[in-house]
Amino acid sequence: MGNLELIVEKHSERIHHGLEVLPTLRHGLPEGLGNKRWTAELILATYEMALTGDLPKNGLEYKTGDSGGGFDVLGWKNNGFAKIDQENVDLSISLNKRVEGRRIEIPLPIYGGGMSFGSISLNFMLARARAAKKIGIYTSTGEGGYPDAIVPYRDHVITQVATGMFGVREETIQYAPIVEFKYAQGAKPGLGGHLLADKVTSEVAKMRESSMFTSLYSPFPFHSVYSVEDHKKHVDWIKTVNPRALVSVKVSTPTDVDMVAIGSYYAGANIIHIDGGYGGTGAAPEIAKKNIAMPIEYAIPKVHDYLVSEGVRDDIVLIASGGIRTADDVAKSIALGADGCVVATAEAVAVGCTHCGNCERGRGCQVGITTTDPELSRLIEPEWGETRIVNLFSAWSKRLRSILAGFGLESVRDLRGRKDLLVRYK
Amino acid sequence: MDSETVKPSKYERFRIETRPAPHVYQIPNKFDVSARKLRLAAMLVHEAFEYKLNKEVVLSRPCIYGVFGGRFGGFKPLKHKCVGCMRCVQEYPHIMTVKHSEEYKGLGDSFWTPEAVFTIWNEASTGKIPVKGMGYKGAFGGEGFDGIWTDMSEIVRPTRDGVYGREYISTCVDVGRKPTSVDFGKIDHASSTVEIPVPIIFDDLPALEFDVWNAVGKAARKLGTFFVTHDQTRGEDYRERMIPIVDDNSIYETLEKRPSIVEYDGERSDLFEKLSDSLPSSIVIARVPLREEAGLVACKLAREGVHGLHLYADYHGQDYSEDPRHISESLKEVHQLLVKEGLRDQVTIIASGGITLAEHVPKAIICGADLVGIDTTVLVALQAEFLGETQKRGTYKLRPRRVDLAWGTQRLVNLFGVWHDQLIEILSAMGMRDVRRLRGDIGRSMMDAELREQSFKGIAWAT
Repeated sequence: MGNLELIVEKHSERIHHGLEVLPTLRHGLPEGLGNKRWTAELILATYEMALTGDLPKNGLEYKTGDSGGGFDVLGWKNNGFAKIDQENVDLSISLNKRVEGRRIEIPLPIYGGGMSFGSISLNFMLARARAAKKIGIYTSTGEGGYPDAIVPYRDHVITQVATGMFGVREETIQYAPIVEFKYAQGAKPGLGGHLLADKVTSEVAKMRESSMFTSLYSPFPFHSVYSVEDHKKHVDWIKTVNPRALVSVKVSTPTDVDMVAIGSYYAGANIIHIDGGYGGTGAAPEIAKKNIAMPIEYAIPKVHDYLVSEGVRDDIVLIASGGIRTADDVAKSIALGADGCVVATAEAVAVGCTHCGNCERGRGCQVGITTTDPELSRLIEPEWGETRIVNLFSAWSKRLRSILAGFGLESVRDLRGRKDLLVRYK
Repeated sequence: MDSETVKPSKYERFRIETRPAPHVYQIPNKFDVSARKLRLAAMLVHEAFEYKLNKEVVLSRPCIYGVFGGRFGGFKPLKHKCVGCMRCVQEYPHIMTVKHSEEYKGLGDSFWTPEAVFTIWNEASTGKIPVKGMGYKGAFGGEGFDGIWTDMSEIVRPTRDGVYGREYISTCVDVGRKPTSVDFGKIDHASSTVEIPVPIIFDDLPALEFDVWNAVGKAARKLGTFFVTHDQTRGEDYRERMIPIVDDNSIYETLEKRPSIVEYDGERSDLFEKLSDSLPSSIVIARVPLREEAGLVACKLAREGVHGLHLYADYHGQDYSEDPRHISESLKEVHQLLVKEGLRDQVTIIASGGITLAEHVPKAIICGADLVGIDTTVLVALQAEFLGETQKRGTYKLRPRRVDLAWGTQRLVNLFGVWHDQLIEILSAMGMRDVRRLRGDIGRSMMDAELREQSFKGIAWAT
């Protein structure tokens, strides 16, 4: 074994060991870890769930963060409900509610969000795809193209069509059970994708048909779409290339997000995916993350209620993302009106992300998640990453079952729009 | 057409030339990295055996940012290189500790957070928009500007890409009185306006050194903006960019120098009469503290004929009401009363106090300002020292350090450049081509308190 292999092996082992030891709190709560949204406890609890597949048993907070608003000030009512056996709770949801089109059900009300090749390493992409296959859910390519290595998992991979059109080819549309139009991203609403020059290696440049080490800014918006009619042309285009694909429309959360949702419905989308302002990104102007568009907690009821009032709520799937950190966030989103959630950052935390926010840098991530550096990428073995992500979702399933069983609900579908089961804290 | 007869266009797209102006005074390390030295030594011995004295493997460091790249490795970490990624803690939790340094945590005051200070320092030093990975890390919403989100356009609006290319987004604003109708029988001296290419001016900062004022004045000249001062000896080399605050002592000097814009205390209607009579070509702006009755005062002044109102809060953005409110609230109130009275388009509103981050500019404009004034932010950009609270005008505890003219000017130009670019980011996300359209457009914003009540309606309070 050469020195490079030995070095990678040494650090991989140390990191894996650290991810086991840190949640035990044997060395205390690391002072520099975490922030208001992803607190140190939440990060460590996620490491623990990714290790054991179970909820933390040592008192680590795994339900909420410390942001002082949104999901963090919502809780659950806890009196007067006839409880049922958790084993009898069904967590599956349908991703197509229209009469026409293929039937797709997923066993959890969760699937993986778009993270592009270039913003994340191929190994992490593979880990996510493998986990999606194992669980029977989906992951998304993001807008960085469709590497050959994930083709074997194509039945569980959503092809994203974003404004840069990177890697969008006839075959990548035809691979996909679901095609996702990314109109906007919660972390940088109204701005296009952003991949800084340092991360545009030869492989990334080749995939995106661009020049090496040149920053890539995707345009915003789709310059071919200025109306619902234009949007329908997009949907029709996808359905012509791949008639079996479901179409998801990912949008951000402006004041008129309800109008955008109804427009997407009439354009033929199967899924309206709203991405709130506090979602993740590989790189975005700081001003965009905090200040543009509303948080997902406020957008979900707005869209849900409007779709109900228009009489189409049961014909379209509403998926929420952008700041979904825990199983409780998923359940709260559903109680606010979503059918299910898309998560991405939580999967990154499962494999060692510390939410430090250095993803945009040249070598990117210290643990090989958001990097294109060949040495760092090797810190994540796809098999290891797959196990961690599967374990995380296994733990989340247990928590979701526990919440639903506590309310006597047999299906997660029965939780949708049940704001009456929530309480607010001051 | 003969090519020789075609005159070259005089059009020049507005841009602010930024370039690095590194910190000249040392800034604190954000993170404090330390190792338990005995455990570190034991670990090295252990790894030496484990990897059979393979030096390259044993000494390969658990940091990709070079914190342990110094001669003494982990025994003397290079703390300034630490970005807080925590990998060393992940690998060696029994040895390594990373935390925010005490110096970092001690930055600023009760209003200026360490993060805000670092943001301004970096903007002034690099002239580049802060771009980072990962999602937002802070509090959910909050009071004042923190409780406002700006809108964005999803599909159907065409404008985009101001920063990176194609379409021009104007950040120009007009200062001055705009008549509501044309009277051909009268030459209206009061109708003049001055255009500023970016909706930000430098507000007055009492008790400042000459070198700071010179940097402010020179930056104002480069940027095409203005600086407000009560002392006309400050920055007088840049007098054409000066907005003097006139009082009894300085009125004659002011009348002699004939500034294009002048401010006075809004309670002194006698001064307004003198200024408007003697300086018919100047724009006369009344300074009005934001407090309970500021709206009524503003309407009265607008009816009297002032050309603009400079509404100010304290340096922490709190107004002077008995029960202080954030500037965003009181500004909105004044703006809306002027609209209701049909007076809003006759006056320019400058808002200042608590405008300390780039996002505060569009948010103040949404609340009703035409443009904003910045104050303590200028000193932070110039690496002034925090000596206590910065809230009160006149007694703020922020001590400027010595400022080299070229360096100070560039720092302020960088700050404006970065804020200008971020304003364009916000405008382009909204699909707006002109910052003037943003004024008072509350419909293109979202308020935390309102959304909370709408979206969480029906959710019971926990008992």
